[in-house]
Amino acid sequence: MASLVPPPKLYTDDVSLIVIILDTNPFFWGTLSNTSALTFSFSKFLNHMIPFVNSLLLLNQLNHVVLIASGVASCGYIYDSATAVASDGGQKVPAVCSEILSRLEEFVAKDQRLGKGDLRTVAGSMSSLFSGALSLALCYIQRVFRSGMQHPQPRILCLQGSPDGPEQYVAVMNAIFSAQRSMVPIDSCVLGMQHSAFLQQASYITGGVYLKPQQLDGLFEYFTAVFATDLQSRTFLELPRPVGVDFRASCFCHKKTIDMGYVCSVCLSIFCKHHKKCSTCGSDFSHGHSELDRKRKHSEV
Amino acid sequence: MPQVRIVAKNFMDMVAALPAMKLDQLYDSSFICEAVLRSLPPLAKKYVLQLLFIDAPVTAKSIEEWVLSDGISKHKVAIDRLLQLRVFSEVIDRKKEASYKLNPKFQSNMQRYLVHGGSLPREPMPSSVTVRLPTAEDLEAYALEQWECFLLQLISSAQAERPTNFSPSMMRVFQRGLLSARENEAPRLTENGFQFLLMETNAQLWYIIREYISTAEDRGVDPTDLISFLLELSFHKMGEAYNLNTLTDVQRSAIKDLADLGLVKLQQGRKESWFIPTKLATNLSVSLSDSSSRKQGFVVVETNFRTYAYSTSKLHCEILRLFARVEYQLPNLIVGAITKESLYNAFENGITAEQIVSFLQQNAHPRVAEKTPTVPENVTDQIRLWETDRNRVELIPSHLYEDFPSKEVFEAACDFARDVGGLLWEDSKKMQLIVRGDIHQHMRDFFRRQK
Amino acid sequence: MATITMAAKYKTSVKEPGIPGVLKMMEDRFVFTPNDPRSSTKLNVDFRQIKGHKFSKDGSKQALLNLTQDPEKGGGYIFEFNSFPDRNACRDFVGKVLGRIQSAEKPPASQHAEQLSTKELERRMKLLTEDSELQNLHRQLVANGVLMDSEFWAARQNLLDNDNYGAPKQRAGFKSAMLADVKPLADGRTNKVTFSLTAETIHQIFAEKPAVHRAFLDYVPTKMTEKDFWTKYCRAEYLHKTKNSVAAAAEAAEDEELAIFLKHDDILANETRRKIQRVDPTLDMEADVGDDYMHLPDHGILRDGSKETVEGDNEFSRRTLSQDLNRHGAVVLEGRALDVELGDTRTVAEALARSKQGSSTENSDENANMEKLERVCRMTEIEDLQAPRTFPVAPLCIKDPREYFDSQQANAVKTLGDNGAGMKPMDCSLSAEEAWIYLMGQISQVKVRGFNHPIVQSEAALKVLNGLNQNLSSTKYQFGKNSQESVLDRLPQRIKADLLNHWTTIQELLRHFWSSYPITTEHLSKKVIRLKDAMTDIYVKLQEIKESVQGDFRHQVSLLVQPMVQALDAAFAHHDNEQQKRAAKGGVKPNGFAQ
Repeated sequence: MASLVPPPKLYTDDVSLIVIILDTNPFFWGTLSNTSALTFSFSKFLNHMIPFVNSLLLLNQLNHVVLIASGVASCGYIYDSATAVASDGGQKVPAVCSEILSRLEEFVAKDQRLGKGDLRTVAGSMSSLFSGALSLALCYIQRVFRSGMQHPQPRILCLQGSPDGPEQYVAVMNAIFSAQRSMVPIDSCVLGMQHSAFLQQASYITGGVYLKPQQLDGLFEYFTAVFATDLQSRTFLELPRPVGVDFRASCFCHKKTIDMGYVCSVCLSIFCKHHKKCSTCGSDFSHGHSELDRKRKHSEV
Repeated sequence: MPQVRIVAKNFMDMVAALPAMKLDQLYDSSFICEAVLRSLPPLAKKYVLQLLFIDAPVTAKSIEEWVLSDGISKHKVAIDRLLQLRVFSEVIDRKKEASYKLNPKFQSNMQRYLVHGGSLPREPMPSSVTVRLPTAEDLEAYALEQWECFLLQLISSAQAERPTNFSPSMMRVFQRGLLSARENEAPRLTENGFQFLLMETNAQLWYIIREYISTAEDRGVDPTDLISFLLELSFHKMGEAYNLNTLTDVQRSAIKDLADLGLVKLQQGRKESWFIPTKLATNLSVSLSDSSSRKQGFVVVETNFRTYAYSTSKLHCEILRLFARVEYQLPNLIVGAITKESLYNAFENGITAEQIVSFLQQNAHPRVAEKTPTVPENVTDQIRLWETDRNRVELIPSHLYEDFPSKEVFEAACDFARDVGGLLWEDSKKMQLIVRGDIHQHMRDFFRRQK
Repeated sequence: MATITMAAKYKTSVKEPGIPGVLKMMEDRFVFTPNDPRSSTKLNVDFRQIKGHKFSKDGSKQALLNLTQDPEKGGGYIFEFNSFPDRNACRDFVGKVLGRIQSAEKPPASQHAEQLSTKELERRMKLLTEDSELQNLHRQLVANGVLMDSEFWAARQNLLDNDNYGAPKQRAGFKSAMLADVKPLADGRTNKVTFSLTAETIHQIFAEKPAVHRAFLDYVPTKMTEKDFWTKYCRAEYLHKTKNSVAAAAEAAEDEELAIFLKHDDILANETRRKIQRVDPTLDMEADVGDDYMHLPDHGILRDGSKETVEGDNEFSRRTLSQDLNRHGAVVLEGRALDVELGDTRTVAEALARSKQGSSTENSDENANMEKLERVCRMTEIEDLQAPRTFPVAPLCIKDPREYFDSQQANAVKTLGDNGAGMKPMDCSLSAEEAWIYLMGQISQVKVRGFNHPIVQSEAALKVLNGLNQNLSSTKYQFGKNSQESVLDRLPQRIKADLLNHWTTIQELLRHFWSSYPITTEHLSKKVIRLKDAMTDIYVKLQEIKESVQGDFRHQVSLLVQPMVQALDAAFAHHDNEQQKRAAKGGVKPNGFAQ
């Protein structure tokens, strides 16, 4: 007797939940468009990004896309395809676009208001709240995990360009480790001029893809060729790998990246110089040198 | 007789089997493109997206580079599928290397779709005209009722409360694989029929639709039109009314049949008449290889082999009767027990233990659905054991020969039987011989010759 | 102080009265002049001959100081002082002197003559033979004089300890045989019953029956010989076994020693009474009610009171089996108190007595009592009658997050900028206003104009795809088709072995190198120099290997070798820095560090 249906699979393999983190740092975008080398403006970026969202939703009826924007002073949810107001059927695509755009506008306006009192005027180093956005993404994913319903395997895609904010190092690393724990890969697409150490580490640790596109006018192609691949297919596909990852830690006192340093034996925080007291946990190191040497002297005897 | 297989794939195969011109015609509609895209294996989807904006052909090798060694088979499957559906067209260049190009119509449609979205050929009617639109629950109830009615009629025409509008010939077509009728007997479900009943709604739906389409030509309807209409229908919004006068003739005749199946609901207003797609219709567009329309389960199986089905539908009762002994039927509950006799009955009819078990698992009541295992292990094990029980003994009709006059005759008979390949057992002491029934005639001839 | 003079009495053994005199200790020797000028016991001993010093406890009968010459023999110069403070002063002086002397002459001697027991040596040899890599390393470093053997093994203490040489950590407890097996051999023909008592058994008997122990100490060898003692004991046991209480009573009346063996062990009784007194009154007996398995059938020991024979006032009522078992269990759990060789019974008994004395908790700690009282109060208090407790609120201490997170932005940015792929950081010429305006403008632009069609130009897309493909093929080439395969595997065997070897050597060398800092002694600085030379050698060798590999491998090999070279460079740099610093300081050492 021929067997009929194979054991029922509740979800086809390629259903995905993708949380996309957009960088809406105006300083970065403004500077980028002014740089003569690339004429890539924010509008062009949206031109590539929003159809990409549409293509993700096209691939599978059950695909779920969430957009989070990371601004300079705030970050927030822009779009959630599960709760979108868009109607079924043909009108979906333009509705999606318009919704995303209008929410984005609101967000940027709010961000501007919140960022008004900011003292940081060194605009070139203005970083976006990447750690906040990453935390938002992880919280959303956790909520999906705990909702008890069937859910596809989630992943996070970061479209960042602003430079890494050194003060966010600890928060970002914590977020990366919790993503690793929940087995959520973090893909990164770096749009700026420089590589981002944070994103390199994030993608390396969580098993995602890190890419710095050489040609920004073909951005959509990068998206569809690399980042649209669902997690199941990634197991037998070869995706672009970075050649080396900058693993150096930054010291806790000056936030410089260091190769050699001092480590507190209690809380494992890293310092570049010898300190009398650990600034994180407060343990005392002042007994360090002299007694140690005296002891060593005795042991030599 | 076609085996009832994973129907969804079959549907796509049917699509793929359409002649090239017709297929290209199909790709005119962006919805069909979308539906086809969604039905592809994941790797194929990626390839399509990748090449969506590239006009020049891309070498096969460059696509293959992406694939690791253990994914080569999946890659081949994907490429074959794409070629079958004519989404990819192969171009052999001078160097005898293959490269692929996207079907231009498909490509342009998809490109436009990404930016502008598609648009249905019809708009929902304004609510001022439509009155008494059914609510979502009503609609669902209606769809379910229609479908069950249809199924009941399919199984045994006598049981249906309301005969559908299908002509008897149409019904016979549907019943083609599922029922067999001998003369002067009520039609009985065949093996395939049983399997069909135990399948999921979506799969059943696709089977029926496939049959429907495959007979379309006989009725003078172009199957391509039907296919495109059906796929389009799945993109309509559930619960919205669409005017009937937006349909072509072909579609209009089809819509009546579809209403009988429960895919749409027809309503009449004062001047206009319209149709409302139900959940069954919109689910058609769901990725055709999975079934995520989780309807509520209703069966609870206990460790003492009792089954409690919280359902009022006759269809469910019938299905349960297939393999369980229904003891009571209460207004909202069907109480039954899985017994050896009932299972043996089912096995005789060609149902396998796996089907029964998967039916129970898929239709498990939400209360037990979260437990693992949903169906108690002792029940599933016992069902399987009883099935294998039947395979313990093999019955072969045969003849016994004894009272041979002499040993030589006996030996000769044995040899002969062995040569013919019908010897089953011999006992030289008692001089008895058992031979397969079908060579009995040969044996008799042999003995006569001996004399 | 350079000299110390004290009145003392000199003797050669503890029990002697001693020759009174004056003891004068100088930096290199000590001189003893007796008060009596006629006495000939003058001493003038170089401290170098003194290997160690011993002294009696403060508060003991004599304030003694023993300067030992030879650690084995135990003899030496014993001085008795008039008071403990005097003795202590001399003692400290001696200690200092000895320390100084020994540190001066120790270096050549002690480092080579590490007192290795043969067991240690064996262990080391075994480890070396088992692990060929270790052997290689050992040969390379120690045989070539780069490291000392002692240092090599010092870092590997855990390997040595893991061996199962030496005494097993667990000590065997008492056997339970005593309870069951000390059965007499009854000779059927004669009416003789033979008990066999081994030393082990005797030890056990002493441990478990303190009354017998005490009796032994009291009676042997004064009142009776050991043999008699044991005969009486065995007789008592025999009587006990026969459960003949009347006979027991009769015999006990005759022989008082025997009576002791038959009576309840009163020492034990006292002990248990004391233990019961010490039980915490706050013990919650109710909580254990559920643990009583008596209500379950077949559980527990059914004690049907009716079956028990009432012994009445018979002093010699039987010890029950359960008592014996409990006692035995308690003793086993206490562990063997002694590690004394089981030889002479007498010494065993004495040793046991001594150890008991040491560990007795007769002096019930005041603290324990106080605690108990406190706990009782706490447990029995009635909640309703208590005043509401307001605990003093600890002030919330939030470390200033700026201190933790903030940075010297300019610094940090600069260094982060160095990480970039060679592109210079962007100069932002926009003011805040402009930037925001720009962004909003862009969004509205998209809203108005909609999207381009096509989104991507075909050529651009094709270029991107080709670029990605190229990227893929190049990484595949670099890393091998299989991600598991590493560059190392593709190198010829010899080079691979060499590289791995160097790597382990470098690790070992670096470990010793870094642990030698900060350099405080001559020995360390010499060691550092030796290590540095070895590292330079390897450095050169690495360079050679890099050169020797041809063509396409060269890049990968240099990538592999890179971290090693970096580590070595860091070590060299540190060393040079230190040298310079030391040269700059000009040899002024704080705290008298020898250099």
